[in-house]
Order: sequence, then C-alpha cells, then structure tokens
Amino acid sequence: MLPVTKIQRFCTKDGPGIRTTVFLKGCPPHCVWCHNPETQPQAAPFFYCDNLCIRCGICAEVCSAHVHQIIGAEHFLDRTACRQCMKCTQACPTGALEKCSSWLSAQEILHEVKKDAAFYGTTGGVTFSGGEPTVHAEKLTMLLDLLRSDNIHTAVETCGYFDADLLPALVRATDLFLWDIKDTNDRRHLANTGVSHHRILCNLQAADTLGAKTILRCILLKTINLNTEHLQEVARIYNRLKHCEGVELIPYHTLGASKNVQLGQAEHAHKDWIPSREDMDKATAFLKQYVPVLSS
Amino acid sequence: MHFPTASATLRPVRLKDTTRKWAYASLHGKYGDDAVKNACVHLDDITDFEKLSDLEKYDKAIQSIAAKAPIRICPKEKICGSATLGDAIYHVVPAKYKGEYFCGSVSHLTLRYDKVLKQGLDAYAQDISKRLEDRLLTASQVEFLHSLENVIDSIRVWHSRYLTATKTARPDLYKLLLQVPFSPARNFHEALQSLWFIFAFARLCGNWPGIGRIDWLLGDYLHRDLQEGLLNISEARELLASFFIKGCEWIQSNTPTGSGDAQHYQNIVLAGIDESEAEVTNEVTFLTLDIVEELAISDFPITVRLNKITPLALKEKIARVMRHGGGIVAVYNEDLILQSLENLGYSKKEARSFANDGCWEVQIPGKTDFAYMPFDALQIFNQVIGLTEENIPVFNSAEEIYSAFCRSLHDTIQTLYRSNVEEAYVCKNSGWQARGKVLPSSVVSLFEDGCIVHARSYFDCGPTYVVRSPHMGGAPDVANSLYAIDNLVFKEKKITFADLVQTLKNNWEGNELLRLYTKNHYVYYGNDAEEGDAWHTRLLNDFADMVDSFPAQNKSPVKFIPGVSTFGRQIEWLPSRCATAFGYKKGEILSGNDSPVPGTDLFGATATLKSYCKADLVRQSCGAALDIKIFPESLNGDNGITALVAFMDGFLSLGGFFMQLDAVDVQTLLAAQKNPQKYKTLSVRVSGWNARFVTLNKEWQDMIIERSSQNLH
Repeated sequence: MLPVTKIQRFCTKDGPGIRTTVFLKGCPPHCVWCHNPETQPQAAPFFYCDNLCIRCGICAEVCSAHVHQIIGAEHFLDRTACRQCMKCTQACPTGALEKCSSWLSAQEILHEVKKDAAFYGTTGGVTFSGGEPTVHAEKLTMLLDLLRSDNIHTAVETCGYFDADLLPALVRATDLFLWDIKDTNDRRHLANTGVSHHRILCNLQAADTLGAKTILRCILLKTINLNTEHLQEVARIYNRLKHCEGVELIPYHTLGASKNVQLGQAEHAHKDWIPSREDMDKATAFLKQYVPVLSS
Repeated sequence: MHFPTASATLRPVRLKDTTRKWAYASLHGKYGDDAVKNACVHLDDITDFEKLSDLEKYDKAIQSIAAKAPIRICPKEKICGSATLGDAIYHVVPAKYKGEYFCGSVSHLTLRYDKVLKQGLDAYAQDISKRLEDRLLTASQVEFLHSLENVIDSIRVWHSRYLTATKTARPDLYKLLLQVPFSPARNFHEALQSLWFIFAFARLCGNWPGIGRIDWLLGDYLHRDLQEGLLNISEARELLASFFIKGCEWIQSNTPTGSGDAQHYQNIVLAGIDESEAEVTNEVTFLTLDIVEELAISDFPITVRLNKITPLALKEKIARVMRHGGGIVAVYNEDLILQSLENLGYSKKEARSFANDGCWEVQIPGKTDFAYMPFDALQIFNQVIGLTEENIPVFNSAEEIYSAFCRSLHDTIQTLYRSNVEEAYVCKNSGWQARGKVLPSSVVSLFEDGCIVHARSYFDCGPTYVVRSPHMGGAPDVANSLYAIDNLVFKEKKITFADLVQTLKNNWEGNELLRLYTKNHYVYYGNDAEEGDAWHTRLLNDFADMVDSFPAQNKSPVKFIPGVSTFGRQIEWLPSRCATAFGYKKGEILSGNDSPVPGTDLFGATATLKSYCKADLVRQSCGAALDIKIFPESLNGDNGITALVAFMDGFLSLGGFFMQLDAVDVQTLLAAQKNPQKYKTLSVRVSGWNARFVTLNKEWQDMIIERSSQNLH
C-alpha cells in the first residue's frame, strides 16, 4: 500500500505528452515554498475549506474525538485530537472536509493510471510525484516495472534527496527523471529546504552515469534564486550530464498557499517571490545561451 | 492591431500588412455596418405583385436583388462579389413588399460547388433546357425549372454589374470574371473566385449555406499552379485570405446581442479521404489553417476529418490553431462516421464525400435536404416522474422509472416521425413530393443534386436525399437524474420517491443538506466512472434503437436518423425546466449538447471524453457533439501541442463522433463581460458555431462562463 494524495489525469506539465500524475505522501526536505503541503509526512489528514462549510454540524455529530465544534457561526477545529477515522470527510455534505490522502494498493494505482492509456500513445504516460516518491522506493520500483511491462512510459519527479543505493533499481525502471534543482547555493538550499544539495547533485551525477534520462526542473523565486549566478550554475550542472534533455524553468506561484490554510497551517504566500513574465523571459533567454531550455 | 489569443504563444505573422489591416477592419464591422445601411430591396413598383404565385414573387425578388444590391469592391480583395444587403444577416430573402418580408431563406445545407468549378454555370442552363424537353413534367415542375433559369439569369445580371465595375478599376478581377463562374475554372485563382461568387450570391439572397470541403474543391487547382510555377505558396495564402476576410463581411461593429453573431453556418470541412479513398490533405488544408491561426477569424467554423492516416503535421497544425482559443477548429472521427453513413444505406463512395449542414450535423453535401427536430428529454423525464404534474406516480425502482420514460420518449419520437416524415411527404405519379406548400428555394435548389432531375425544389423532395433527424437534448441531465434517484431513493433510502419529487417541486427548499449531499457525493456522467456513465450510455443506445425502429428507406425517401444536441437550447429550455434530482436548482445551467452538466465534471478532459465515448456513437448518425474546454496554460509550449495531438488520437481510438475543443481562460471572459469594448473580437465556440463573446447576451455569456469555469486542468 502507498499513501496517495492525488491521482491527477490529463497533466501536461509533468513530462512529455498527456500524463497521469500520482502524488505520493512523504518528503525528506521541507521547502518553505512547498506547493503540495499535504504531502509532508506530518500534514493533517484532511483539508478544511471554510468557504464551503455551511455549519450544519454533521461533522461534529459523527466525530467521537470532538475534533469539530460548531459554535454560532464558527467552526472550531482541534486537529490534535483527530484519530484519522475520516468519518467527518465522508459525512460532510458540501465537500468542505476532504481527505488528504488514501492508502492504495499497487493494483488500485495501476487501475487508475491505466484509465487514460488511450491518450498516452508513444509519448505520454505516468509520472510519480509528491512529496518525494523515492521515499517509497521499493514499491515505486515495482509499479514502474509493471507499467513498463505494459509499455507505458514512466517518469519520476524527484528532489534527488535519497539513498544512493536506490539508484540502480530506480534508473533501470524509470524512463525519465524530472529532477528538481531547487537552488545551487548550498547555504540557501539548506536554509530553505532543510537539507544540503550535495547529496542531490551527487545522486544526479550518479544517475547520469547509469544512463538516466533527465530533465532539470528549476523553480525560480524572486529575491531568492532568480539571479545569473544560479542560472550559470544550473548550466554547469547540465553540461556535466550526458543524458539530460534540458532545463525547465518554473516560476514560483502562490496557488498552493490556500492548501496551507486548509491544513490548519500558516499561509505561505510570498507574493514578493513571484517572478514577472519579463523576469522569466530574461532568465530563459540568459540560460538559453548555454543549455536547451524546455518550455514548461 | 491585435488578433486575440488565449495562448502565451503569439499568433504567427505570414500575411502582408495590408491584408492584415483589411482583415482587422472587416473583423471590426466595417462592411457589416455598410450592409445594415442597405438592408434590402423593395418590390413595391412591381405591377400586380400580390397576384403572383409564391414562386413568381420569389423570382421577382431574386431578379431585383441581383439588379439592385449595392456592388462592393474592397481595395485589397483578390476575388469579388459581396453579400451587401443587411437583412440577409437575419435569415430572410432581403426583399420587402409594402414594408414586409414575404419569403424566408434556407440554411443547414452545404451546396454542391464542384460542378460549378469544373463545368461552369452555363452547363446548368443546358441541363435545365434539356430537362424541360420532358413532356411528362407537371405545370408546377415546369414553373420550378423556369425559376432555376431565373436564378442563372439573375446571377448573370449580378455578374455583369461586377464586370462593369471592375473593367477599368480592377482589371485583375475583371479578367477572372470573364471566365468564371459561367465557364470552368482553369486555375486556383479562378476556382477560388468561382466558389466565392456562387457562395456570395446565395448569401446575398439571404441563404446561409456551408462551404464544405474547401481543400478537396480547390486543392488540385493549387497543386497544379504550384507545380507549374504560376503561384508560390505565399501568393496562394494571400488569395485564400481574401476568401476568409470577405467572409467576415456580415460582422457589425455593434451587433445586437443574442446567441452570437457568427452563426451563419458557413462551416468548412477539411481533410479526410476522397471518393477513391485517397487522403485529401493538401496545401489548401494547411493554408486555411494558416489564415485562421493568424487572423483569428472564427466566422468559418472548421471541422477536420481525422482518421488513422491523418498526417501528424496536420494534427500538430490543428493543435496550434486550437490553443489560441475561439473554438475555430473542431474534429470529426471519419472512420466512425463513414461506418455510420454506410449503415444508413449510403454507398461507400457517397459516404466518403460527407461534410455537414454548415454546423456539425453530418450530411452528403449538395445532395441533401436536411432538417433536425430538437426536443428536451429532461422535460419528458420530469413529466414522467410527476414533477410537472399534480399527482406523483408510484415507482419502485429506477428501472421502472426508466421504462416509463422510454415509453414517453418513444411517443415523442413517433410524433416527430409522423409530422416530419409520414405526413410530410406523399408519393404521386411524378414521384415523392412534399404534401403541403413549400418555401420557394430556387437559389439553393440550383446547386443541389437531384433538383433538376426531379424537377422539384429543395423542400419538395428535389435533392437526392432527404434527412430528418430528431435531436435529443438533455441526455446527460436525464442520466444524472436517474443515477441520483437510484442512489438516493432506492439504494440508500435517504428519501422516498414521492418526497423527493415534492422536494424538487419546491426547488429543494427546506432540504438543503440533502441537495448538497446529492450534488457532492455522487460521481455523475463525464468522469469516466462506470456507474455514473451507465445511464447515459444506455439512454443514447436506446434512443438510437427507437429512432431506427421507424421505417424509412422502404416506404419513404426520407432518412430518419438520431442526433444528440442542444445547440445552446439549454438556455431557452430553462424556464420550463425544474430543479433536478442531482442537486441543481431551477434556473441553473444544465448540460449542453452531449457534454457533462457544468460543475459535475471533476476529473478533466480525458475522463469526460471517455465517458462520452462509452455510448455506441456510430449509431447517432446525425452526430453527437462533445464540448471540451481546456485551460490555455496547460497547452503552452511544445508539450501543449503534443498533448493536444494525443488527445485527438484518444478521441479517434475511443470512438468519438464530433468534438469541439476550446481553450478558454475564464478570467478573460469575465473581463470581456465587464469591458466589452476592449474585447470586441474575442471569439468562443458556442455550439456548432462560434460567436464573438460580446455579441452574446448575458444569459449566453453566463452559460459560456459557467461551462468554462469547471475543473479545467
């Protein structure tokens, strides 16, 4: 069984062609800009969307742990008391309470991702993302093997922070890695993700040596890593790789910020980090001098 | 000079700046405004007009239009002839007697143009003369054939006025007109002029024909010219652009709002195989797409016939046009449609020539009198469950409800069959004919195969084929209702059937929690979920069975064939519809065509397409349309093109029929609603037609916004 936060169909940004992306829970780094906070290991088990709640009180009725309390026009939540029975999400009539993840078997995941096989053709396929999918390396590899036996193209989006011993099996089973380069300045990397980038870069180089096809995905955040030094370093990393297809530049956005709130966390919307269209065009033009920049 | 796009990729620039400026002016109403100033001709000076027969009155009107309609020659145009009478925009013969129109016009057909191109209009005059030699013709048949001669004479008058107008001022156009349309076209430019001239004359007289397979019509001419070095591809693009820019001549700068201004059924069909099974795709196919890609012209909705051998380059080109938005290009599944037509008794060769009625209903062009009869299946369903009745019937299962509904559906189809087929035509000595009086239609009849041979008009069994099609609307709404009732009432027993119907009568008042539960806890049609789709699949297949059960081929010349559509009627039907069992209140926008109800499609475009394809769509021989909206951002970059091509391939392999895909950004639509002046040329796909968004009234705009806001990935 694997903890799946979402299986999203018709994805066009997670690898080539039309893809189904499987988001798995669990992630060693803790990026301050995380777009999928529900995939963090300690994330609450359900989203609560205040706009959708009509204060009907049904959740309070079904919850024996007293997580929910409706007092007047307010819906109070005591998430610490939650025993994860998920009765509230099942009973909520409006969808204001929604389960963040489900434990699915490999067969269940395969059944879901094969639904769009008619659209994969020779280009599209299945992407595992997260969180960090390699947290579940053994089961992930098994799934990748099963998909390959059905001639379905596979991609793994990874932050690259995992045990190097996992690499041979992963590289053998994966058609393409979408490899995140969050920052090339290790001081900033450590500060903003909680981990050093040395292991990530070593794994990337080792994966390349094993023949792994990669696309480098670089999130750009204004005032953090949107600068020529970082882009030049990205180019250097690319140039050390033999099997890398190019670099994708991804602008930071705040679309995931509402998820923080719905998980009972502080909102992490940093509007000052959002690069402008012009910033992105400039960064793309700059990087294109050195490496292939893929449109994202 | 900005041609709007929904994409981050800019529209290409290939045409000359002067051509682009002309297009821009035309798109902003320069010629439409002129047309409105010259609305129609007046027939008050015709002696004893009232004593004339309907056909004689019509003939006089056509003569007068040809002689008096203003001549327009635009400085940059490379072909000439213009439909300059503004009333033609409103689907009437633009001629008045004592201040009143006296004759309607014809739409939902594509004329046969290839014969004019190859043989010239003079050949028609010879065919008619020969036919008039038949002494067995009735008086009315002779009168009709003379009316066809009158059309040719009128075109000659109109043609001679253009000859006069161009002789000195535009010798290039004059030279073309010396040859066409009366003699065969000898090259691409002449063929283009000939096609346009006939199309424009039909429109000048108030008719709204489709163009059909423009690449099949013109491809050989262009190919020859290119090979012989008479033209290069850029010159050919400029020539063809004239056709498309002139086709915008009915756009007004301030169109009264309604269901959109670009619905004159001037649909174009591209690619696919020809009668000998060879793929048609040629230079004209790509040039057509080049032009609409650059100029954002949505007035010629284009449908491409996709098949297993469609070149990848063509699919990529379609994708490039699609992602700019505007819904300009839709796609057919050619293999499925050919099978469907063969099942109806068309020969393989005939089937391969298919185009449409100017919208998306499939027909054999230039040979078919076509009409469809829309009805609302949801209202039938509501009546069956007692929602519109005083007494609520007793049902013990969803199966029982469905059986009762099918009986009513069958009755509806039977009524349509009787009035539109059985009682509409009669077989006399001179063959099948309409039972009652028919609208004069000689202009379009001239270009319909069969009318000269049968000496009968378009509406009088003249064309080779007559097709009548009951079109079911609201199928997804009925399916969702059955699914919700089955679960709520019979499986989960959350409410009794009688109480549910009463709740719906009360528009869910007092039962909000149950309404929200119904709305949020079930996965309805459009999500690739077996249970949610099952009722829809069954309903479409049973509907096809019912329509097929009515005799057509043997006893009457009329083909009676099923189709699934609403064409935006979900708005018109709103006042007579009620709250639905799937949690929607009275007045909420429901399903359009065969698409999911807005707000119920949760899992994106691929899931929706899969749900739609579960029905045996080969049996919906008139067509079943699926509208797909995709968020433009998801189509950016090279992978946006790859993904769209893969989506089209999925549509083919899963057995879709017709799909119109639009890239829509809801924020842009909201901004256009707020500030229409700034978004005057922003186009959206409404149904089988496109419209400039600002020419839709508020209800139609809201419908587009509603269906565009849901679950775009």
